[in-house]
Amino acid sequence: MSRLVKKCPSVCTDLPLSNADVCGKLRLMMELLRSCYGPTARLKQVHNNIGGLVVTTSTSSVLLPAITSSHPLINVMKSSLLSHVHRFSDCGLFAAILCLSLVEQAKLSGVREHAVIRVNNHLLAMCISYLQQDGCSCKVSLDFCRSQNLIALARSVISSKPACVLTELESLHISRLAVHAFLLTVPCSIPGTVSLGKIVTVTIKGHSVLESAVFTGLLVDVPEDNFFDTKDSFSAPLLMVLFSASLAGDLCEVGEGVIQAHPHLDTASQILDQLLELGKQVVKDEVRVFVCQKVIHPVLQRFLRCHGVFVIERLGVALMEPLTQMTGAQPVATLHSTPPAVAYGKIRHLSVKQFGPKKLLHLQPFEESTVCTMVLCHRNETMLNELKVVSQKTEHVLRLTLREPSALLGGGCTETHLAAYIRHKCKNEVSETATGLGCSQTEYLLAVEGFCHSLEFVASSLEHDGGTSVSDLTHAHNWTFPPDILEEQMDGSVGFCGCGVVGSSSSTKWTFLKTEHPGFSPVPVVRDTPVQPSVLDSFAAKLSAFQVAVETANLALDVRYVIQDVN
Amino acid sequence: MLPMEHIHLKNVLQTVCALESVILRSFGPEGGQVLFTRDTGQVMLSRSGARILTALHLEHPLARIVVECVRKHSASVGDGSKTFILLLASCLRMIHATACKEPNVSQSYNSTGAAEASAARRLADKLLAFALTELDDLIAANVVPHGFCVSLEDFTTKTKLPAHSNSLSAKMLLSSFFHTRLGYVHCDFFSDLTCDMLRHWEFKGDQLFSALQFLNDNFPALHTQVSGLPVGSSRLIEGQVIQRDFATPFLQVNKKTVKAVAFTGYLQPKLLNPGDVLELEKTSIMHFNAWTERSVECLIKTLQSLGVSVLFCEAKQSAAVLALATHAGISVVECVSEEELSLFARLSGVTPVSDCWMVQPENVATLSFCRPILLGAHRYAYTSGVFNILVICAPGEGQADQCAKAIQDANRMLLTTMQPVCLHKTTALNKCEITRLHAASLPKDGANRCDIGVLKPGCVIPGGGTFEFLLHCSLLQHHSSVSNPTNTDVHISRILAKALLVVPCQIYCRNPKGFLQTQTRVMKTQNPKPNQAEDPEKGAFMTNTGLDSISCKSQLLLDVLQCVTSLLQVNMMFRTHMALQKTHKITNTSWEQTEDETED
Repeated sequence: MSRLVKKCPSVCTDLPLSNADVCGKLRLMMELLRSCYGPTARLKQVHNNIGGLVVTTSTSSVLLPAITSSHPLINVMKSSLLSHVHRFSDCGLFAAILCLSLVEQAKLSGVREHAVIRVNNHLLAMCISYLQQDGCSCKVSLDFCRSQNLIALARSVISSKPACVLTELESLHISRLAVHAFLLTVPCSIPGTVSLGKIVTVTIKGHSVLESAVFTGLLVDVPEDNFFDTKDSFSAPLLMVLFSASLAGDLCEVGEGVIQAHPHLDTASQILDQLLELGKQVVKDEVRVFVCQKVIHPVLQRFLRCHGVFVIERLGVALMEPLTQMTGAQPVATLHSTPPAVAYGKIRHLSVKQFGPKKLLHLQPFEESTVCTMVLCHRNETMLNELKVVSQKTEHVLRLTLREPSALLGGGCTETHLAAYIRHKCKNEVSETATGLGCSQTEYLLAVEGFCHSLEFVASSLEHDGGTSVSDLTHAHNWTFPPDILEEQMDGSVGFCGCGVVGSSSSTKWTFLKTEHPGFSPVPVVRDTPVQPSVLDSFAAKLSAFQVAVETANLALDVRYVIQDVN
Repeated sequence: MLPMEHIHLKNVLQTVCALESVILRSFGPEGGQVLFTRDTGQVMLSRSGARILTALHLEHPLARIVVECVRKHSASVGDGSKTFILLLASCLRMIHATACKEPNVSQSYNSTGAAEASAARRLADKLLAFALTELDDLIAANVVPHGFCVSLEDFTTKTKLPAHSNSLSAKMLLSSFFHTRLGYVHCDFFSDLTCDMLRHWEFKGDQLFSALQFLNDNFPALHTQVSGLPVGSSRLIEGQVIQRDFATPFLQVNKKTVKAVAFTGYLQPKLLNPGDVLELEKTSIMHFNAWTERSVECLIKTLQSLGVSVLFCEAKQSAAVLALATHAGISVVECVSEEELSLFARLSGVTPVSDCWMVQPENVATLSFCRPILLGAHRYAYTSGVFNILVICAPGEGQADQCAKAIQDANRMLLTTMQPVCLHKTTALNKCEITRLHAASLPKDGANRCDIGVLKPGCVIPGGGTFEFLLHCSLLQHHSSVSNPTNTDVHISRILAKALLVVPCQIYCRNPKGFLQTQTRVMKTQNPKPNQAEDPEKGAFMTNTGLDSISCKSQLLLDVLQCVTSLLQVNMMFRTHMALQKTHKITNTSWEQTEDETED
């Protein structure tokens, strides 16, 4: 009878970061995420406890929600990293590894949390202002007239997700498609505020990736027996009507009262009569395509087909917006009044596209439209799911370039470059900065070293096969040497750096990452070299990831007490 | 027999010390955050003492009394809830120590515990009486002269002068408040943001004080939280953000003005209300359906004739309404919250329509724009308005919420600081003459010093324990100036003086050198040499320690002493086990609800 339960007192943890249990959990999370970073990452399988679908992934947007911890501190960090991923779609693992490494470095250095927070913040501001400078040598500006850099950007996103299992050729194909689809959604000649179009993704299982393609207009999955049961051609400009209300003959919007009908009164046929009335009106207006978001009554469907109208039902809410955008139709929801002429949309052409056993109806736009459909094919469902996630991420990353048309060098080169830049810059004015930040010089230097270590740690996390991460002492780019390389081989040619801009020469001097080396000012790469970077990261996403990582690490360092309500 | 417990002074002290140990983690310049998870799984981050304490779900009745006192204090002042607990613990310790030493004058008590308790009670009463009568004068005479006044206008003037101009110190007051709430990293950023917000109100020609009050009352509708972006992206945007997206495809209108109407109900009339019975004999059900559709069409026509192009609706509308509105070129925003709708109505000067047959031209608001705005992951409706909306960004939801709460409390703190001082007692006026005489010996330096002896609105003093040091000294002086050694007042002022020192002790707990430095500084300024000019180090000192509001501090002291008295008046506790009867259940649950509400 009574559900009045006394509340339990809360569980408290004092100084969570000094707690061995919490530190162990943070360490575990870092190892887990680190092993998923980059193109040669190890994959993770996610099972749930009720026998659901097994997901194979290395993507942060799938992985982070799957990690749950009993400790609230970890959950807070996770949720703030996850919201970055939702906003920017890229650099999620970068943010996570940097954040966790910053926390660990701060613990190792033994400097007061307070001082670390201040120094971290100072260095963050320094890095951000450096990256935003025009002369920043790890920034590449994107040229929309040439697709090369855009494809490189898309390809870096796609190839950093090994769970898609793509060959070199396939990843290039998908990158090209992604850039193509993105360019289709940018309107060409519309004055005023520009609104981008939509990419609708359709997935088909069991086909080669190379059969994936991009089409203008929409591809709709329609039950096969509905295809073209009239002999008319569907290629002239076709008038289309779009209903958002159900046409199944049900009564909604009546209210919550009771209706008592006389036995001789056939309400169902009355409603059907009304629907057929509507059908006649539509036929009279020479509408050729009749689309409904919900279900259409079979009798009405039959009636319309007999009059040469093509019927599509159960379109679903997801396709409503692209369809209205493409055809200019306005959804109709009234049964009693004739749809106004403005509500009709236009379609140029209706055809069937065959993908193996699957047939899709292709609606082509009458005028130039920014709606396109991307058909993704892959051999099995797990890979296909990952590919779909990746292609949506790529689309988002490409869209971000419209706001800030630049990219950062990938492959860990930005991180090593920044670390060298910070070391060099901080060495000069130690005493002034330290007093300005209210900490001692030793504390300052230790915190700076921790920050640089963390950056280099992220760069070295790209390597998973036992190789050695080194940095050159001229440009401070990131290089990976195979594990069996000998000292004397190191001065020979070892190919290119992580981002592919710098090639090695015999005069290059090396230093291992995370080791002591003399500070130097990184020299910018001469720009007139024909070599274009092969790995690029989104500028907007990386900048935000950087800020979110440092802010989250600062937050974790600042938490002194945890109170858990266990009711 | 009911189980009962005598409450000894020791129990009270233990309880308060337990609370103190929680609070200490986030107290002072080195303090950190406290992280909570609620039973719902929601995460909350805070450095606010009141929020930390209320989240603890304490069971001990004494502790609950303390938390209730802190909550009330913080609801009215907005600042000082951590200092509250520190001072409370310190006062209780002093009282305990004094009461133990006191000889048992009367043999009527059958135990030492009871004797101690009654001595403590007597002391507490006297402390409170002393505070009520003498404290204001002491503060006015000995503390206020070291502070200076800032006015609300100082918050809004933009100046680049680096000297100690008033606007700089006004900003510092906010900045040191945010330092205690959000930490060092974001304090300057948020104080600038708050100043910007206040500056905006000044341009509107509003009375600033009433504007502040309005801001305080309507804060939930005046800010929007965005998670997933760095804190530095927080900003002010002009106009009103309605936290709902357009339900219809937004139509690009290049009109100069946009006309909008707010609705509270359904636009399509419900055919049948619950309990209604519709009997169909000859007529078709479709007639009724057609009627409801036609009535929507009529309404849309009326709106079109009025030139309306945006509808704000509190209720969710039917598909027919949305479709017809789209055909007519009208955009619809549905499910708008009541607060946002009432704020919209209040600021545009129109009344929301409840009966959709009665749309009059006076229900139509004219806006200069209305368009979608993308904030983080959400698209919201954004209209013109005469005020600014604060967009608070943070990486996580908990952090955004924390920032919002801090800004709200800053407003509250400013309100208390700027409140016209109400003198609790008439003696203050009588003693004014004496303090004026006293004041003649003090140096006058510039207009920004307060008139000596009168606590004006907006009076501030350097932080870092300066207030406590000054009051400590003046209490000791007071102690020595009263010649009669048997006077109990003497005791009282000494107890209070010692209790106060706990605040600077805790501020400098990791930096004992700082404690001494500050103390000598304050002593020096207390007895200035006549020829000495304005201390050149003062500016630097202020930037290190920030500023505190004097009225908040004195209010805090009074509230603490009241809490001490109410705690010590209790001597016994009954734990009653009642069968849960209907009436009790209701009162109990309602109490829980109010508690939850205040937490939110």
